[in-house]
Amino acid sequence: MAPHAPQRSERPGEAVALLDRALFQHAHPRVVLSARARRFWRQGGIELALLVVFILAAWATISATIPRPDRYLPSPLSVLLSSGDLLWKGILPNYLGQTLWRLIVGSLIGIALGIPFGILVGLNRHVSEMFYPILNFFQSISGIALLPILMIWWGTTEKTVLGVILYTCFFPIAFNVLTGVRSTPRIYMNALRTLGASRLRIVRDVLVPGAMPSIATGARLSIGYAWRAAIAGEMLAGRRGVGWMIFSAQQVDETAQVILGMALIGILWILLDRYALRPIESDTIQRWGFVQR
Amino acid sequence: MNPLARLSLGLQKRFGRQRLRRILLGAIPFVALGSLWQMNAVYGWLAPIHIPPPAAVWGAVFNLQDGCPGVIDALRQSSGCLFTNHILSSIGRVGLSLVVGLPLGVAFGVLAGMHRRLAHALEPVGVFANAISGIAWVPLAIIWFGVGWLTTLFILLNTVFWLVFFNTLLGVRGVPRAYEHGVLTLGAKRWKVITHVYIPGALPSIVTGIRMSMGFGWRALIAAEMIGGDRGLGFMLFVSAQEYKTEEVFLGVLVIAIIWMLTDRACLVPLERWTIERWGLVWRPT
Repeated sequence: MAPHAPQRSERPGEAVALLDRALFQHAHPRVVLSARARRFWRQGGIELALLVVFILAAWATISATIPRPDRYLPSPLSVLLSSGDLLWKGILPNYLGQTLWRLIVGSLIGIALGIPFGILVGLNRHVSEMFYPILNFFQSISGIALLPILMIWWGTTEKTVLGVILYTCFFPIAFNVLTGVRSTPRIYMNALRTLGASRLRIVRDVLVPGAMPSIATGARLSIGYAWRAAIAGEMLAGRRGVGWMIFSAQQVDETAQVILGMALIGILWILLDRYALRPIESDTIQRWGFVQR
Repeated sequence: MNPLARLSLGLQKRFGRQRLRRILLGAIPFVALGSLWQMNAVYGWLAPIHIPPPAAVWGAVFNLQDGCPGVIDALRQSSGCLFTNHILSSIGRVGLSLVVGLPLGVAFGVLAGMHRRLAHALEPVGVFANAISGIAWVPLAIIWFGVGWLTTLFILLNTVFWLVFFNTLLGVRGVPRAYEHGVLTLGAKRWKVITHVYIPGALPSIVTGIRMSMGFGWRALIAAEMIGGDRGLGFMLFVSAQEYKTEEVFLGVLVIAIIWMLTDRACLVPLERWTIERWGLVWRPT
C-alpha cells in the first residue's frame, strides 16, 4: 500500500498518525517536522501557544482600560517598539554586552579561585573539617548584602560589582568542591595507593574527577546567584548594564523599557542556562559522575 | 584527675568525641578571623571606616536600640527600637509570603500538574517566570506600588510563588499514573486522589521548592529592600552605607548570615531530611 494513501482505521492512535502524515507530509511534501518539533507539538505546544496569546491579549486589554498606560502598563506593542528604538541607538547591545562581560569575568575568576581552594582544603580530613563551617558561613552571606561594604571601600566603581559577582561565585564553588572531594569513595584512593601512586597522582586521577560533578552543579547554582547579584549590583552601584537600564528607565517613567529589560533578562538567562550551563553540567556528570554504592 | 581533664571528659561525654573534635576544629578559622579583626582594630592597619573594630559593631546594636524602652516595646515595634524593628520587619515579610505564597503555589501547581498536556505547556512559562523572578521585578514593582513595604513583599511573594508552583507542577507531573489509576479503581473521588496520590507523591519536590524559594527569596528580599524598601535589614544596610556607618553595615551583614543559617539549620534541613525519610528521595530539578 502506498504510504500516503488515506486509510480507514478503528484505532484513534493510527488515525492521528494518518492525519499527521496527511497534513504534514502529503499536503506539504517538503515540510518534514523534525523529531524535536513533533515532541513540542505533542507536549502541549498548542496549549503553550494559546497561553502566550491569552497572556498577551490580557496584557493588551488591561493596558487599554487603565488610566495612564504609558506609566503603569504599556501595551505589548509599545514595548516591542521601544526595543526597536533602543536597538537603533545601539544602547541595548552595549548594555547586554557589559552585563554579560561582567558576569563572565567575575564568575570565571571566582570559579578559577574556588576550585583549587576547595581541592587543597579537601585533601586532608582535619583541614576540611576545619574549613567546612566557615565556608558554610560565608556562603550564607549573600553577595548582595556585601555590596554596601564594597561600596564604602571602593565606591561605585567597576571593582565593586565585579567583587560582588566574584564573591557570590567563590564560596558556593569552594564549598561544593570541598564536599565533592570529601565524598569521593575512599576505595578508589586506597586502590591507587596500593598500586603505588604518588599523592599528586591520586589528586589528578581520583579527587579531581571525583569532584567534577559537584563542581559542575556548584558552578551552575553559583552563576545563577551571580546573575541576580550582577543585576542588583548594577542597579545599586549605577554601572551601565541591563540592570541599570531597567532601573534608570523606571526613574524617568519609561515603563516600556522596564518591561523590555525584564523580558530580556529572563530570555538571556534561559539561553545561558539552556545552551551553556546545563549542557556543561550534564556532560560533566555523564563523563565523570560515578554511581556510588 | 585535674579539672581540665575532667572538663574535657565531660564535654566528650556530652557531645560525643567526633562531634566535639569537629566543633573545635570548625571554631579555629572563626577564632583566627576574629582575632585578626581585633588586631586590626588595635594596630590600625586598615582605617576604622573600612573595617570597624568589633567593639564598635557590638556598640551599634545599642546605638540602634537607643530609644527602646523594653522587650515588650521591641516586640510591639515601637519607633525607638530600630534594630529589632528592621529584623522583625524582614522576618515578618518572609513569614507572610510563606503563609500566602506556599498554599497558593501548591494549589495552582497541583491543579496544573493534574492535566498532563497543560503541565507540559506551563513548564516554559514557569522557567521564564523563575528566570525573571526576584530582583528584575523591582523597578516595575516600584512603579506599581511605590517605594515601600508592598514592593518588597511583592518581590518576595513573586519569588516564593513561582518556585513552589514550578516544583509542585513538576512533582505532580512525575507521579506515576499507575498510582492514580489504582486509587481510582478502588472508587476514590477526585479529592481523595489529590490528597492521597498527588500531594504525597509531589511532596519531596515541594520541599525542594520551599528550600529553594527561601534561599532565593531571602536574597531577593535583601536586595529589594536596598533598592525599593523603606524598612528591613536590607534598607538598614543601605542607609548605613550611605551615612558611612560601616559598623552598622557589618552588624547587618552578620545578622543576615546568622538568620539565614539558623533558618536553614533549624527548619529547612530537618524538613528535607524528614521528607527523605518519610517519602523517599528528594528530587532535584536539573
